[in-house]
Amino acid sequence: MLGYVAIGIPCGILSASIGMNALQVFMMCALFYSGAGQFMIPNMWLAGAPIASIILSVSFVNTRQMLYSAAFAPWFESASKKLAFWFSATVTDESFGVNMQQFEQGGWTPHRATFVNLFSQTSWTVSCVVGVFVGNAIGIPLAIAAFAMTSIFICLLVTQELTAANIVAAVCAMIGVFACKLVGLSGPAIFIGAIVGVACAILFSRVRERA
Amino acid sequence: MEPITWTGFWIVFIVCALTMLACRVLPLFLLKGRKLPERVTEALGFIPPAAFAALVANDLLTPGMFDAGFWPAGAPLVAALIVVVVARFTKSLLLSAIAGVAAYALLVMI
Repeated sequence: MLGYVAIGIPCGILSASIGMNALQVFMMCALFYSGAGQFMIPNMWLAGAPIASIILSVSFVNTRQMLYSAAFAPWFESASKKLAFWFSATVTDESFGVNMQQFEQGGWTPHRATFVNLFSQTSWTVSCVVGVFVGNAIGIPLAIAAFAMTSIFICLLVTQELTAANIVAAVCAMIGVFACKLVGLSGPAIFIGAIVGVACAILFSRVRERA
Repeated sequence: MEPITWTGFWIVFIVCALTMLACRVLPLFLLKGRKLPERVTEALGFIPPAAFAALVANDLLTPGMFDAGFWPAGAPLVAALIVVVVARFTKSLLLSAIAGVAAYALLVMI
């Protein structure tokens, strides 16, 4: 909960730095609702990426939500369609962890889980919108603000499980990005790099299965 | 940098919100309690490390980055290493962001 406020405010500040207003940030939080995604959009915009690569990269990163959604499916078999929709539409990395733990311990209901999600989303939305006003009030040098985003991505990267295949994915993605920039494809570099990383990791784990 | 226009915002917002909603809602409704195929789960699991690594590399690495001397490109790299240490120990997004910004600001001033 406190985490949402602490990260939401910088997210609002950075969104404001690319010219998004409070209403736009509010809509993002209400209907898109993705911490990583809402940091990626200003980050890529600042880097001068074309809109198509922003959309591709953000959507690609968000496919991880499919894993969360699939993991909850057994507990929502008997829940109403409406509740299942509201719940699944508001799952995030953080509330996924909390709810999964509660479901596995038992005695947790879809209603309570949905309440946790909506409460998290409300804190996130309020903090981001406050961040927009803070960002407009104090001018933060762009290079410094951009490095806050880089730091957040570094934290998200190094808190992944350090399996051999994940390390292959990360290293190959970095090489992929660098190679794209080398040949002048700096716009789609993130998307192509990420695909290269995933492909290498799949290949790596197949080869290891055979060995 | 040009500020984002309303048109640009609408395109990014609508497409991202729709793909996000589909990724969140469809598996829960379509699977009805069955599991995703193992291969798919595995591949989806590789996306976060690959994608976050790509984002970090995009911010830190540029061909010819050391042309202007070591420090202009080296300072963010050193700051990034500090963030790696802080992130590994604290697992906190907030502390990582604070440590990163502080380290970066100090190193650039040197």
